[in-house]
Amino acid sequence: MGEAAIVCRSVSRRFGTRTAVAELDLEIDRGSVFGLLGPNGSGKTTTVRLLLGLLSPHVGTVRVCGLDPVPDGERVRARTGVLFDQPGLYERLTAWQNLELAGRIARLDPAERRRRAEAGLRRVELWERRADRVSGFSKGMRQKLGIARALLAEPELLILDEPTSGLDPVNIKMLRDLLLGLAQEGGRTILLCTHHLDEAQRICDRVGILRNGRLVAVGTPEGLGNDGGVHAVRIHGRRLDVAAASDLALPAGAHLRLLEGDPPAARLECAGPQDVERVVAALVAAGAGLQAVVPERRSLEETYLAIVGGEAP
Amino acid sequence: MTDLATMLWKEVVELVGNRRSLRIYVMAVLIMGLLPTLTRPRGMPPGIAAVMLLGYAVFSSVVVAAQAAPDLVLRERAGRTLETLLASRLSDAAIFGGKVIMAAVLGWSAALLTVAVQLIALHLRDAGAPWQWSYLALVQGRVVLLAGVPLLGVYLGTVGSFVAMRVGDQRPAYTVTMLSAGLLVLPVALHLVPLSLTPAGVAHAVAALAVVDLLLVALAVRFFRRSQLILFLQD
Repeated sequence: MGEAAIVCRSVSRRFGTRTAVAELDLEIDRGSVFGLLGPNGSGKTTTVRLLLGLLSPHVGTVRVCGLDPVPDGERVRARTGVLFDQPGLYERLTAWQNLELAGRIARLDPAERRRRAEAGLRRVELWERRADRVSGFSKGMRQKLGIARALLAEPELLILDEPTSGLDPVNIKMLRDLLLGLAQEGGRTILLCTHHLDEAQRICDRVGILRNGRLVAVGTPEGLGNDGGVHAVRIHGRRLDVAAASDLALPAGAHLRLLEGDPPAARLECAGPQDVERVVAALVAAGAGLQAVVPERRSLEETYLAIVGGEAP
Repeated sequence: MTDLATMLWKEVVELVGNRRSLRIYVMAVLIMGLLPTLTRPRGMPPGIAAVMLLGYAVFSSVVVAAQAAPDLVLRERAGRTLETLLASRLSDAAIFGGKVIMAAVLGWSAALLTVAVQLIALHLRDAGAPWQWSYLALVQGRVVLLAGVPLLGVYLGTVGSFVAMRVGDQRPAYTVTMLSAGLLVLPVALHLVPLSLTPAGVAHAVAALAVVDLLLVALAVRFFRRSQLILFLQD
């Protein structure tokens, strides 16, 4: 890990009156796999374009591989491999020619171009189709070829913007396995913008959730629920009904709900551990006999939905 | 230069698979090569015939370059490959220059092929007569064909590429590019500049076109910005 591959400090970008990215603070360690999650229009693609120097921020600073992408855009892009949701392959060119072009753009010598193109095509299992035009490829094949192209220059940073968008379940699994393989190889920073939360959960070391251009939560996929979002605990004990009977003073935003069943239990949602302590103290003061306070672990999907408020991912 | 060569390699390989562009190219060459030769009255004075034949060759290059320049850009937009190019390490100048040079080369090669078709058709029509070199025998003809037509291609390539980056639709982009060719003859049509077909007059006209090209290319490179194009693609 160590040195950060991507650093954004208070980055904002507007389009007219609409703010696409607002005060974005983001740090992605070198060699890690970071998942950027968020509903459509949350600012993921704008963030990618800012990182590539295709757009400049109105406010804030961006550093990619230690470089400012606006004045040093060419150098940043030379170190970065990108795959957008539409892979942007040349339909009239064959799979081989598309990689040949990527190799020429990367200024590789002919022998190295051929070696890497062959390795890339074999890796994504398209070697047998190398002489076929891309126009005859399925969406899944195109995405795989797009990944091979993005990797051809052996970039330090790989940006994948919705790589499984529009794919059927079989192709999603195939591509996910490929991404998992890339992630496990290590040594390369991967920024994965995705709608698929389970994909992020399986592949990413850390994830961030964007909402309306703001990064509202960052953490590990497992820990995000407890680290970055709403805390939820389950309280077990006797006389928990005092919570309903008395005017228990709950912190702002906290919700305490008695659960049906035996033994008695209640569920508390609140903003942080301090609020949990306050509510527990209040319950004890009101006469409840507490036996256990157990933090609830939530899935990334639950956390995501809690944060973005049910917007379609 | 390496990046420019990469872009040109890509354009050539793509063109080979582009039947529509190839059809327009072949039709322009054949029509402009055969039609005037077949319809030319036998008694037409050689000077007028030379200007007419040269005009057809130039027109074939205009048709091809004006069609090719927007097409080269619009295909990239439609196929979402422009975003891939913009996200690559290629410089703005290489991306833009590749389009302009390719359009110019296509236009120029169309003119040269048109000339070849004209000469062969003339030779076949006047069977037994010695080879006629038509306007190629004149200094003016050679200056126009070897310098004027490539410069015209650069002009049309620049205008066509630049317009297509912004317009996003083939028909208006092609129309604007063709109209821009008309702008070049406007000073003569409005009698602001006298028409002179002497060697010096033609050389001056070609030199003036070179200056216009330089200014236009400088302006286009100045205003060709990734950040702008991304916004157009976004819209």
